[in-house]
Amino acid sequence: MNVHRRARITRTVVLMVVASALLLVWVLPLIWAFVVSLKSEREVLAYPPNVVFEPTGANYVAALFGDFSIVDSLATSTIVATATTVLTILLAVPAAYAFARLRLPAKKPLGFYTLATQMVPPVGLVIPYFLILNQVGWLDTYHGMVIVYLTFSLPFAIWLMVSYMEDVPREMEEAAFLDRASRLQTLWHIVIPQVRGGIGVTVIFVFLNAWNEFLFAVQLGGNTVRPVTVAMYNFVSVEQTLWAKLSAAALLAMLPVVVIGIAGQKQIVKGLTVGAVKGGGRK
Amino acid sequence: MSGQGRVSLRGVRKVFGRFVALDGIDLDIEPVEFFALLGPSGSGKTTTLRMIAGLDTPDKGTLTVDGADVTFAPPGERDVAMVFQNYALYPHMTVRDNIAFPLKMAGTPKSEIDALVREAAARVRIDQLLHRRPGQLSGGQQQRCALARAIVRKPKLFLLDEPLSNLDAQLRLETRVELKKLQRNLNVTAIYVTHDQEEAMTLADRMAVYLEGTIKQIGTPAEVFDRPNCVEVAAFIGSPPMNIVPAMLDGRTVTIEGHRIELGWQPDCLAGPVTVGVRPGGLRIDGDGIPTRLYLSENLGETRLLNLELGQVLIKMRIAQSDFSPDVETVPVSFDPDSIHLFDAGTGRRVEAR
Repeated sequence: MNVHRRARITRTVVLMVVASALLLVWVLPLIWAFVVSLKSEREVLAYPPNVVFEPTGANYVAALFGDFSIVDSLATSTIVATATTVLTILLAVPAAYAFARLRLPAKKPLGFYTLATQMVPPVGLVIPYFLILNQVGWLDTYHGMVIVYLTFSLPFAIWLMVSYMEDVPREMEEAAFLDRASRLQTLWHIVIPQVRGGIGVTVIFVFLNAWNEFLFAVQLGGNTVRPVTVAMYNFVSVEQTLWAKLSAAALLAMLPVVVIGIAGQKQIVKGLTVGAVKGGGRK
Repeated sequence: MSGQGRVSLRGVRKVFGRFVALDGIDLDIEPVEFFALLGPSGSGKTTTLRMIAGLDTPDKGTLTVDGADVTFAPPGERDVAMVFQNYALYPHMTVRDNIAFPLKMAGTPKSEIDALVREAAARVRIDQLLHRRPGQLSGGQQQRCALARAIVRKPKLFLLDEPLSNLDAQLRLETRVELKKLQRNLNVTAIYVTHDQEEAMTLADRMAVYLEGTIKQIGTPAEVFDRPNCVEVAAFIGSPPMNIVPAMLDGRTVTIEGHRIELGWQPDCLAGPVTVGVRPGGLRIDGDGIPTRLYLSENLGETRLLNLELGQVLIKMRIAQSDFSPDVETVPVSFDPDSIHLFDAGTGRRVEAR
């Protein structure tokens, strides 16, 4: 009895120590950035670093309202990420339903090649995409950027949604068919309400990926479409890097991500484990 | 409610991959009949029901309802309602919305829906639960909800796929009675799939016995029980089913393990190997009978079921508790000649009286 109890306590302690250590690896850069964002540019470069300093909010003011304000870029990021998310869900839900339920010719190869863009390193796609968008004159446009993002978000979203759709018992749909519901009515009234959780997870993942994207944004965007991930580079120039303002901008850009992450924590964890246990990912 | 609901299947065949689920199914179900499809799992009874519902289509053969060919009609156009084994309630809707769903899909005016839902719910006594979700209901209540959803739009055909199998024994008996009453009151054709012969016997006006993708016998429960038309049905119906014993026939005399039994009737074949079928109640302990070895005795409360080794086969005999003495090893058994069914040893078909 005592031995078991001691073993349990030991296990808990070890787990906590390891978890804290791992957590620190991820959190340290954030803490560092936060500390830096409260310093003046001069203080940032002090060596050895000042542990005690007078915190200032000036960097945040500069990042938001200064010469290199990121407000417009935040708006751009919001538009691009929202549009990508909405379109992804509109297209991925019916597609996933088709993959999960309909008898289609060549369903397996179709499902496999849906993932084509996920099989190639993104760098390998930048130049082809650039050339294509250039040809059709869609470089540095919102629709061009969103379409490029869709090529990544759709395969991911479709496959995530398929696993949720497959969890809906077939009899439920059959009952709806017998109740004279058409296939689309069944999808709308019966299936979608039951995969709400899955749609939530997909929304979160797709939005975050689009928000955080940098590689394609920097190559295919420009002065019109400049997401915040790219705009932050205004604080980096050949002569100097404005570390404090960069940190403040980065933290501001991260804010929506953190808020969504905390709000959707439960859903995200479920999304990661969907399919692990039968019915484990539902709702 | 339409008084109609005549279903006919002709030469229906269905194959899943290499598995022949149904072969040569001919079936006629009369209007307002309570018809049971009885058989062990995998015998094709559910596949038949799903075809009548339109959830599966036959590879061969035709299906008509009231004379109209609906072999390939989609489920929604058939005016059938179905209660699924696991009920298939919509978990995100309240009981009220579950019952209302078929009406909404059929375009019933909103003003009428509420009254119809109340009426259907009252019939199965769940009108107090309309605001709940299926997850907040007990198994029996879920089942009633599924029934209400099925009856609310007054279908032509009422299909039930093992609807009682998820209920506990007590509730199953109660619901069985109510189900029969409900069908009578609604005056609707009901087709009922079950592997439980007691359910089929008590509920059905007529039944079809399925074995390995074919129908072996169609008839009233009494016909099927009293006059099984083949040895497979004989060995399936009854709890426990008939004892099947190899024997020789000569005129009116059946010989089992060297013992002669005189039949009270003249079989329409004269001599040769036959299979004798006799129910556990058709056997008696009799000093002059065939000696058997007691293998196991099962106490059933009111009666006792003896498992006896008769030559190479194991037979079951039902006796009164008072007739049992625990220390015997051999039991002499006699066959009641009037309880003997004869089957052709080759084809398995029933041997009738001449």
